[in-house]
Amino acid sequence: MARSVTTQRKAIYTIVAWGIGLLIFFPILWTILTSFKTEAVAIADPPVFLFFDWTLENYAVVQERSNYMRFLWNSVLLAGLSTLFGIIIAVPAAWSMAFVPSRRTKDILLWMLSTKMLPAVGVLYPIYLIFIKLGLLDSRAGLIIVLMLINLPIIVWMLYTYFREIPGEILEAARMDGASLRSEIIYVLTPMAIPGIASTLLLNFILAWNEAFWTLNLTAVNAAPLTAFIASYSSPEGLFFAKLSAASTMAIAPILILGWFSQKQLVRGLTFGAVK
Amino acid sequence: MAIAESGETTVTRRTAAAKKPIRLFRNLWSKIALTPMILTAVVVFMGGTIWTIVYSFTNSGLLPRLNWVGLDQYERLWSTAKWIVSIKNLAIYGVFSLTFTLVIGFVLAALLDRKIRFEDTFRTIFLYPFALSFIVTGLVWQWILNPEFGIQGIVRGWGWESFTFNPLNDPEIVMFGLLIAGLWQGTGLIMCIMLAGLRGIDEDIWKAARVDGIGVVKTYVQIIIPMMRPVFVTAVVLITSGIIKLYDLVVAQTAGGPGIASEVPAKYVMTTMFGGQNLGQGFAASTMMLLSVVIILIPWALLEFGGRKRG
Repeated sequence: MARSVTTQRKAIYTIVAWGIGLLIFFPILWTILTSFKTEAVAIADPPVFLFFDWTLENYAVVQERSNYMRFLWNSVLLAGLSTLFGIIIAVPAAWSMAFVPSRRTKDILLWMLSTKMLPAVGVLYPIYLIFIKLGLLDSRAGLIIVLMLINLPIIVWMLYTYFREIPGEILEAARMDGASLRSEIIYVLTPMAIPGIASTLLLNFILAWNEAFWTLNLTAVNAAPLTAFIASYSSPEGLFFAKLSAASTMAIAPILILGWFSQKQLVRGLTFGAVK
Repeated sequence: MAIAESGETTVTRRTAAAKKPIRLFRNLWSKIALTPMILTAVVVFMGGTIWTIVYSFTNSGLLPRLNWVGLDQYERLWSTAKWIVSIKNLAIYGVFSLTFTLVIGFVLAALLDRKIRFEDTFRTIFLYPFALSFIVTGLVWQWILNPEFGIQGIVRGWGWESFTFNPLNDPEIVMFGLLIAGLWQGTGLIMCIMLAGLRGIDEDIWKAARVDGIGVVKTYVQIIIPMMRPVFVTAVVLITSGIIKLYDLVVAQTAGGPGIASEVPAKYVMTTMFGGQNLGQGFAASTMMLLSVVIILIPWALLEFGGRKRG
C-alpha cells in the first residue's frame, strides 16, 4: 500500500517536473520552429505550431546577408583559444594552491574571485586605450587575451576545487617510490585531474562563447563572433522574426549540440564549489 | 563529513612534515606557478580600476586628459535623471532576481531530488537557457513578450480579448519583463548547484526526521537549508556577479526603453563614454558602481570566508 502511494507520488513529481521542463524549453523550441517558417507564417494569428510548409529560405537569406562561417570560426577561435590559454596559466596556480597551500592561499583565492565581482565597465576604457595603442582593436588576438583574463578567476577556482579532491596520500606514495616532481605531475596528477580539467574547459568554453559585453564593444568586423552576428539582426527598423530565429538557431546550435553530448561534464562543471 | 575533514587535515599535516626537507624548493615552485595569475589580476583588474577612478576626477571628454575638476563629475552624475533611473532599476532587478532565483532554484532542485525519471535529460533541458548568450535570450524574450505576436496575442487569439500582458512597452513594469528573461536564463544553473548540495546531504537525516515525525517542508526549512549554507553562499556569489553585469540582456531586449525606463548603470556608462563622448562622467559612474559593489560585498565576504578560515 505504502509502496503504491510512493509510486503514484513519483509519477506526479515526474509529470510536474516534465511540465516545467517543457515550459522552459519552449522558447528555444519555438525559435527553432520559427526559423523554418516564412515571415508571413511566423507572425500568423493564431500562431501555427507544427503544420506549416517548412522552408530553408531564411537560412539562405541569413547566410547571404552575413557570412555565418566567418562568425562561427571567430567564435570557435575566441572561445577555444582563450579557454586553452586560461587553463595553461591556471593549472600551475591551482595546483600550487591545492597541494602546497600557504597561509595566504585562501586570501589569494578570495581576491581572485572578487575581481569577478568588479563591474567590467570599470576596466573597459583602460583596456580599450591599450588596444588602440597596440593596434589590437577588432583583432582576434586581443579579444582572446581579454576573454582569457575575465574567465581566469573562475578557471582557477574550479580547478582548485577539483585538485583539492585528489588525495594527498597518492602523491606521497609516488614520492616514496622515487618519483620526481616532473613525473609526479605527468603520471600521477594529470590522469586524476583530467575529468576536472575537462569540465572546466567545457564550462569556460561556453562562458567565452556567450560573452557579449567585451565582444560587442571591442570588435567591428574582423574578429566579431556569433554574439555580434545575432545582435546585428536585432535592428529596430524591422523585426524579421523568421530570419532572426534562423540567425539565433545558427548561433545556438553548436552550444546545444555540444551540451547534449557532454551532459555529465557540463553538470559537473556547473556544480563546482557546491560539492565539497 | 566532519570526521572526513579532520582526517584530511591530519593527512595534510603529515604530508607537510614528510616533505619538510624540500619545502623551500616546493614553495618556490608554487610561487612561480602563482605568479602569472597574480600578475595578470593585479595589472589588469587593479590597474584598470585605479586608472578609471583617477580619471573620474577629471573633465575628460572625447579623450582622457588629466584636467582636475574635483567632484564635479559626481555632482553632475547624481543630478542626471537617467542615472537615478538606472540605479533604481538595478536595485529592483537585483532584489527580485536574487530572491526568485534562490527560491525557484531550490524548489526545483527539491522536486528533482525526488528521483524522477530521466533526471539527466531533464537537468540538461534546465541548463540549456544558461548555455545561451544573453543576446539570444534577450531577442527571444523580446519576441515572446511582443504584444502582437507573443503571449498577449496568443491569449487574445483564444478569445480573451481584454487580456493585457505587455511589459516591454510599459515603463512601470518593463524591468519585470527583463526579470522574466533573466530568471529563465539563470535559474537552471542555481537549481543544478542546489541539487548537488541536496545530494550531498546524508539520507540518515531524512530518516531521522521521519522517525521524529517532522514534516517534509519543516525538514527542508529547519534542517536541510541551514546545512546547505556553503551552497547558498556559492549561489549568492554567482547570482550577484550576474546582476552587476546586467548589460547585454538589456541591450538585446529593450535597448533601455521605452524611453529611459529600463536603463541600467552599465549601459549608462557605455552610452556616456562612447555615445556622449563624456569620458569623465562615464568614469565617475563606473566608480560609483564599483563603490556600491565594495560597500555591499566586502563586509559580507569577510564575514563569510574570513570566519570559516578561523574555524
